[in-house]
Amino acid sequence: MVAAKKHVPIVKKHTKRFNRHQSDRFKCVDPSWRKPKGIDNRVRRRFSGQAAMPKIGYGSNKRTRHLMPSGHKAFLVHNARDVDLLLMHNQTFAAEIGHAVSARKRVEIIAKAKQLGVKVTNSQARVKTES
Amino acid sequence: MSRPTVTIISGSGEASTDTIPVPNVFKAPIRPDIVHTVHTGMNKNRRQPYAVSEKAGHQTSAESWGTGRAVARIPRVSGGGTHRAGQAAFGNMCRSGRMFAPTKVWRKWHQKINLNQKRFATASAIAASSSAALLLARGHNISTVPEVPLVISSTAFADGAIAKTSAALTLLRAVGAGADVDKVKSSKKLRAGKGKLRGRRHTQRRGPLVIYNPEEDGKELVLAFRNLPGVETSSVYSLNLLQLAPGGHLGRLIVWTSSAFSALDKVYGTTTEPSALKKDFLIPSAVMKQPDLAKIINSSDVQKVLRPVRGGAISKRTNVQKKNPLKNFQVQLRLNPYAATFSKNKEGSKKVEKAKPTRVSDSFIEQVHEN
Amino acid sequence: MATLSSDLIWEITRGNSSTLVKRAQSGGVSFSRDTFNLRNKYSRKYEGLVADKAISVQPGQDGGIVVLTKKADKANKPASHIQVSSVPAKRSARKTYAGVINQTAGRNYRSDLRTDAVARASSIRKSQKPVKESPPKKARGKKAQKSEA
Repeated sequence: MVAAKKHVPIVKKHTKRFNRHQSDRFKCVDPSWRKPKGIDNRVRRRFSGQAAMPKIGYGSNKRTRHLMPSGHKAFLVHNARDVDLLLMHNQTFAAEIGHAVSARKRVEIIAKAKQLGVKVTNSQARVKTES
Repeated sequence: MSRPTVTIISGSGEASTDTIPVPNVFKAPIRPDIVHTVHTGMNKNRRQPYAVSEKAGHQTSAESWGTGRAVARIPRVSGGGTHRAGQAAFGNMCRSGRMFAPTKVWRKWHQKINLNQKRFATASAIAASSSAALLLARGHNISTVPEVPLVISSTAFADGAIAKTSAALTLLRAVGAGADVDKVKSSKKLRAGKGKLRGRRHTQRRGPLVIYNPEEDGKELVLAFRNLPGVETSSVYSLNLLQLAPGGHLGRLIVWTSSAFSALDKVYGTTTEPSALKKDFLIPSAVMKQPDLAKIINSSDVQKVLRPVRGGAISKRTNVQKKNPLKNFQVQLRLNPYAATFSKNKEGSKKVEKAKPTRVSDSFIEQVHEN
Repeated sequence: MATLSSDLIWEITRGNSSTLVKRAQSGGVSFSRDTFNLRNKYSRKYEGLVADKAISVQPGQDGGIVVLTKKADKANKPASHIQVSSVPAKRSARKTYAGVINQTAGRNYRSDLRTDAVARASSIRKSQKPVKESPPKKARGKKAQKSEA
């Protein structure tokens, strides 16, 4: 497996999820983020002690955006032919096997990836044999 | 200038010495935008109207209860003795209500496309079929095709020679289009989604399109080719954009019979002479005569009006790492040409000559103090 | 038969091509399946389908490397427009790269792709080596270590 190219340290400015205001109080309020729009809303008015709202400043450094902790970016593959695409990119991209791919084909994909020095992020899934 | 030609390939796949001039349609400008809009329009013209029942969701005598009963003012089913009584009806938000904006059979199903645009698109699609790169980009397997456009001698079709599917398949294999047929055969898959239930159970690729001249090649070949998956046939006199550019993507693999190929000039005419069969149709000519950008840039006409490159052969590099001239002697030399002599003579470590300072002359002091 | 210009073909196919592989992941990447694309990157420079001169570096049947080039004057003769030459597996790395260059940039054939062709030859050579067995996983955690012992 080829290690990823060197990169500046990955900094996540906000690791917690941004939950929708009052989603903790009502079952019917989904935690997916919705910007509060009310005229008196304290979250919207950014009162102290209130939940933070997402904004562009939380964005990651462009150099580390989409990077996994290993320093690779993920690329979804469904067959061994897709792994071939990463031959020249094994320092920047790692293969991620699609969820619907069978165990038999996963073995093929993983063998191919190993040959090309491509990292597979989910190489343990499904292929384990009972010992 | 002599017109470019293509070789006619015999029915057994050998290249003959006969050539045929390429018809003028192949010079038509390739305009994916026009082909795309015409294709989307034409694709709508085969639709059948559908709609939900006019009565759906309205087969009840519901009336609103009005205000004052602490329920929403939506119409409610009248009567009693059943659960249905008092339930909301009609609205699109109601259970067993009608849908929002029920579909109608008088929707605008078909699209009118200007005749000239249709002809332009067809000419464009034919021209695109002569580029191997575009065929490959469309996904055709043409690694064994000897030449595009692929023209087969009409003698192979004479007197109903190709009346059986087996003969048709051997012909396609002989001329190098077999790989594309095989690709189609192995591509048949179950369609994803609801289309399976609606008479579109499988999906498969499209193979070569055989274009013939019914007057000379006869029509038996249509029957011969029709059971080959992905292979379609068309007469030169009624070419269809939906076959020439499936999905609106240019570059279908076309197998021409030589008589069909030579009939193209009659069907489409030239850029200056109207076609014999299409009234008032001239093949459109490209706005840009030279589409090769590199050729334009390197042409003497452009090159002679450009100013010469600054700095001659050596151009200034941008984005270079800054080097410290105090540590890197080569960089210092570039900044200070004297540095070489300076270090050679070891002038940096030379003692300052210590002589007694000479006294300035009196005239100088006088000049300073002059007021 | 006059061929179309590369610029025109690129403008027609750049949004829609059988070689294009797009993923929404990682901010939307597009790779190319084209064998004549040395970096598998879908761009005007690397896409070999579009160019009338292009280089392909592929692993050979029994080791070694095969260099394919397009014959510029045979653009509309698909069956005969590819020139094949191969470098046997026995060659040293340097000689392999020299062989790749001699076939291509050394003859003024797409000299802009010199490093890319060599880089691809290098990765292919690397991929032809026998794969090392990955070391056995160490047991993690006290409990697992105890049960192992």
